[in-house]
Amino acid sequence: MSTSPENPDRALLAWAKDRYPIGKFVEWAKHKTVPIGPGAFWYYFGGISLFLFLIQVGTGILLMFYYKGSADTAFESVRFISAKVPFGWLIRSVHAWSANLMILSVFIHMFSVFFLRAYRKPRELTWLSGIALLALLLGFGFSGYLLPWNELAFFATKVGTDIIGVIPYIGDPIMYVLRGGEEVTGSTLPRFFALHVALFPALLTGLIVAHLFFIQMQGIHEPEAWKEHPEQRKTMPFFPHFFMRELMLWLITLDILAVLAVFFPAELGIEADPFSSAPAGIKPEWYFLSTFEFLKYMPAHVGPMEGEEFGLLLISTGFLLWCLVPWIDRGRNPRVTKIVMAAGVAILVFLTFMTYLGHSA
Amino acid sequence: MMKVFLPALLLVCVALSFDVRAEDLPADAGIEALPADGKTEDLPGGQCLQCHLTAGDEVAELWQDDVHARAGIGCETCHGGDPEQADSDLAKRRGTGYQGELSPREIASSCGGCHADVEYMKVRKPLLPVDQLDKYWTSKHGKLLAEGETRVAQCASCHGAHGVREVNDAKSPVYAVNVPATCGHCHADADYMSDFDIKTDQYDDYVQSVHGKALLEKNDVRGAPACNDCHGNHGAAPPSIDAITNICGTCHSYNAELFLGSPLAPAFKEKSLADCVACHSQHLITHTSEEWVGDKPGATCRKCHEDGEEGSELALYFVDTFGSVRQSFGEIEELLAEAENKGMDVTEGEDYAEAARQSLMQARTLIHSFSRSVVEEKVMEISENQAAALEFGYASLNAFEDRRRGLIVSSLLLLLLTIGVAIKIRTLPPLD
Repeated sequence: MSTSPENPDRALLAWAKDRYPIGKFVEWAKHKTVPIGPGAFWYYFGGISLFLFLIQVGTGILLMFYYKGSADTAFESVRFISAKVPFGWLIRSVHAWSANLMILSVFIHMFSVFFLRAYRKPRELTWLSGIALLALLLGFGFSGYLLPWNELAFFATKVGTDIIGVIPYIGDPIMYVLRGGEEVTGSTLPRFFALHVALFPALLTGLIVAHLFFIQMQGIHEPEAWKEHPEQRKTMPFFPHFFMRELMLWLITLDILAVLAVFFPAELGIEADPFSSAPAGIKPEWYFLSTFEFLKYMPAHVGPMEGEEFGLLLISTGFLLWCLVPWIDRGRNPRVTKIVMAAGVAILVFLTFMTYLGHSA
Repeated sequence: MMKVFLPALLLVCVALSFDVRAEDLPADAGIEALPADGKTEDLPGGQCLQCHLTAGDEVAELWQDDVHARAGIGCETCHGGDPEQADSDLAKRRGTGYQGELSPREIASSCGGCHADVEYMKVRKPLLPVDQLDKYWTSKHGKLLAEGETRVAQCASCHGAHGVREVNDAKSPVYAVNVPATCGHCHADADYMSDFDIKTDQYDDYVQSVHGKALLEKNDVRGAPACNDCHGNHGAAPPSIDAITNICGTCHSYNAELFLGSPLAPAFKEKSLADCVACHSQHLITHTSEEWVGDKPGATCRKCHEDGEEGSELALYFVDTFGSVRQSFGEIEELLAEAENKGMDVTEGEDYAEAARQSLMQARTLIHSFSRSVVEEKVMEISENQAAALEFGYASLNAFEDRRRGLIVSSLLLLLLTIGVAIKIRTLPPLD
């Protein structure tokens, strides 16, 4: 095939086709479809989460141009970003808001997958990689919250790492490594910064690639009713039908972000002082509130265990069961499915209620 | 009457000797401190203590916490007698130096016997001053005592006799917070003071003063003065007019310096006015205000300056200037609060406002120069910072409006794009 100097676009495509199997990719994209079932709307939240992640990467890189990750300079550098850097306030606010919206979107995505029973065979690894992604995003949120080095973040990090320290045997060493010592100090900040901008992004990229790979390999989950009634099967091409709809939601999401950034810009508060006493009403970010609140209701002791230890044991057990859902509900026993679905509703209600209690406390 | 003095006399009525000299003490007295647990049997006092404890005497109880007891100094050091003898008569027999009740003058000499001895004190309590006795004799109390007036305060009146504690012990009657009450015990007692022709409202006034509130309510033992900080402790005396500026200037040094360099200093001297006290009062010192220095009837400046005089004009300038400065602070606070409520970072504006507030504090101090030009210079500084704060506040509100306009434009663009995508979706081939 020869290149045509009259049309540079086509010339470039021809040049690429000469060297790479682009035709195969185009063919694959043309034939990729998305099922249109009763829960089709929820499929878009995976894409919205991905879009918000891309915004996080973009705004995060811009913030790193000015952010200085040490206890002496962090607060002032964030203040400089907010007050002096052109559109710095916008970048910072969009970064903060998109982080929150991304976690919300991932939660919605996870529960929609759960209630559509899309975790079942053969998508066990998709489910597990998704949960790992959520856990990693929570780690992103936790590490990023400390970076402005303000008072609220400092004490919330202290409370958060205290909870980690409750885990028997491994809790203390993990807490020590995270804090860079016995207490949250100036040594903690560079560690959280390194996790936030180096380790977590690397892990997340790998996990996102794996998650998307699994989805592309197996396709998007189809409603179970179609197995018995194949005549009801209805799909739409991924390109351009589904993609255009997704794009529309991305644009709406972007506008919501802009509104939030203008009317509720990220606050900075006062600089952290490790030697001051904790202000009243310290709370973690909203996505940790349910855990925080749940642990608060634990009695001092449960049998031979500390109350908080017991609470963490319950949460860990619940998390493990949540991971094992594809193996618990294989779709063979309707009763098990009903129980699992009811448990899912109970968990959702519990998390919402506890978050509400924590927020209004 | 005699409320303080009588208990003091009672406390010393077991005194058995007087005018103790340091050289009369055992060489190691006071050097070897007793064990920290300080059990009764470890305390010095021998048979004296045993008998007085058995008898339930208060002095024996007080002795348990006395600094001298814990330093190993026994009863016989002040009172003589033989502490080895269990029999009271033998312990007090002739030849043991036993003395009965110590007179107030004997108490001063007895305490001074050790505390004024440089050689003795420097090996036992080297940081403790040794001039207390000398100062005491220069005090009003000491002078009256020397003249034979025994109702005046001596060492035991303030420090106690057998329960003497360190000055920094919160239970000590001479601990800073307790000093006003200790002095007031006599000086606020109208009956007791009736023969001395002294006012007795000092304690009540002090309690209501800024100093009294800081010390007694906020427990500011390092910053707030008690009676002794102005009057002296062992050399306590009413300060002379010439000393007032130096006394107040110990803490308020810049105010004192400004005043002494002001045209008012010689004028006050000429009229025999007591510098700081003439305006601020003495024991009832309250917070000042703009109205306080104003030219209205009842204001401090009007005590001397008639309406229309140069001094009155200056007072009017102070009031008007500071009043207008305060008004601007109100406007700044309102503006910055509005910008902050809209989510703007107003830290820089608050920094300017804080700088202006600091300058205002300095300007209020500069009033003591009684110079319009000196105050004007500082007021200029306040105005510059206030103007910067206001400018920042308005700029923040404008920036918020810019953000809103930017949002409207970008939202419109996004809406157009969304509509474009929606139209594109409608033009796509229909689904099967």
